[in-house]
Amino acid sequence: MSKIKHFVRQSWLLIVASFCFGLLIAIANAAWSPIIEQNKIDKLNSLMSGLLSKAQRFEMEAELEIKSAKGKKVKSNIYKAISDANTCVGWAFNCEGPGFQDKIELVVAVDKDFERITGFSVLASNETPGFGDKIKLPYYRNQFEGAPAEKLQLVKTGDVEKIDSEIVAISGATVSSEAVVEIINNSIIQIKDQMKGKGLIGNGK
Amino acid sequence: MANEADTAGRYKQTLLAGLWRENPVFRLLLGMCPTLAVTAALKPALTMGLCVIFVMLCSNIVVSLMRNLLKPHLRILMFTLTIATFVTIADLFLKAFQPRMSEILGPYVPLIIVNCIIICRAEACASKNALSLSIIDALGMGVGFTLTLCVLAGIREILSTGAIWEVAILPAGFVPWAAMRMPVGAFITLGLLLGLVNAASKKKT
Repeated sequence: MSKIKHFVRQSWLLIVASFCFGLLIAIANAAWSPIIEQNKIDKLNSLMSGLLSKAQRFEMEAELEIKSAKGKKVKSNIYKAISDANTCVGWAFNCEGPGFQDKIELVVAVDKDFERITGFSVLASNETPGFGDKIKLPYYRNQFEGAPAEKLQLVKTGDVEKIDSEIVAISGATVSSEAVVEIINNSIIQIKDQMKGKGLIGNGK
Repeated sequence: MANEADTAGRYKQTLLAGLWRENPVFRLLLGMCPTLAVTAALKPALTMGLCVIFVMLCSNIVVSLMRNLLKPHLRILMFTLTIATFVTIADLFLKAFQPRMSEILGPYVPLIIVNCIIICRAEACASKNALSLSIIDALGMGVGFTLTLCVLAGIREILSTGAIWEVAILPAGFVPWAAMRMPVGAFITLGLLLGLVNAASKKKT
């Protein structure tokens, strides 16, 4: 009994303070989380419009589950890009995977038949400034614009201008360049198969 | 009467101490991690400074209010708990209303929790002094820290991009020093400024 008394006497302030602080954080979170969510959606929309210039609006079409390289299941949202004339002009989806020091989250856009990649953007990453974060620069990203939507290959040297399934790595940032290619490779094939299975693509629609 | 003048003098001393005599960055060499990491441009540096002022003010107030209830062996735990609460709130606030800044600052906002300036002020000032003096101390130290960050960031932003507050001010022929944006620029600028401050304060005495 005296042990409990001792414990309470020593730590009551800590317990009370934890409770009050927890409440404070909960209130702040409840008040601002809708705005934070909205910010994320706005950012995703603006990134997707940058990748699919013809698109007027985006509709979430499906929520797929893909396996990461390590076998972990990751959710991927598929967005359908719709033009002024109400036709499908492409697809965009998000995917993620391990980068050099932290997770890299990407949004990838493909054309309406899922044949060519129209580009990718980095949604969130924590790569080394000045090296790994060059995956956000046009030099590297432009190589994906128009590349075939199939297995891509990373090469150390090659022609950056030539658009094909060979992606030239950023010098000094091989791991980050490789990570992006792997994330895209891993997700694009699985998503293509699953979308074909659902009849979203590949039936002349 | 004399007592009142004394108190006012003490407040003034405390406020000025943070700005120059005990400037957290130049004189105490505390909080080096954010100083080096977020001073590549003025905007993130100012945002970081304001966050630190907010957190320090709140934590000093709370710690000062509960200073008589603190158990000596649990005090650091209480400080960290208090600081972590306000940092989390500041982080949520940035994510909701300044999403771009939140992205640039990345992990450095949560890292304010372990910023030694704030723990130092809680330990050295707030846990021993009355509420009013703790508030003045937090303001002095916080503004001192922010100003220092802004000086560093201003110098680095001008030299690395030719702009300040993202407005170009140097002539178009200026070749940006890319190194200033990288960690090496932070170390060199900080080192030179520390030398200057030391030289200046030596002359005075």
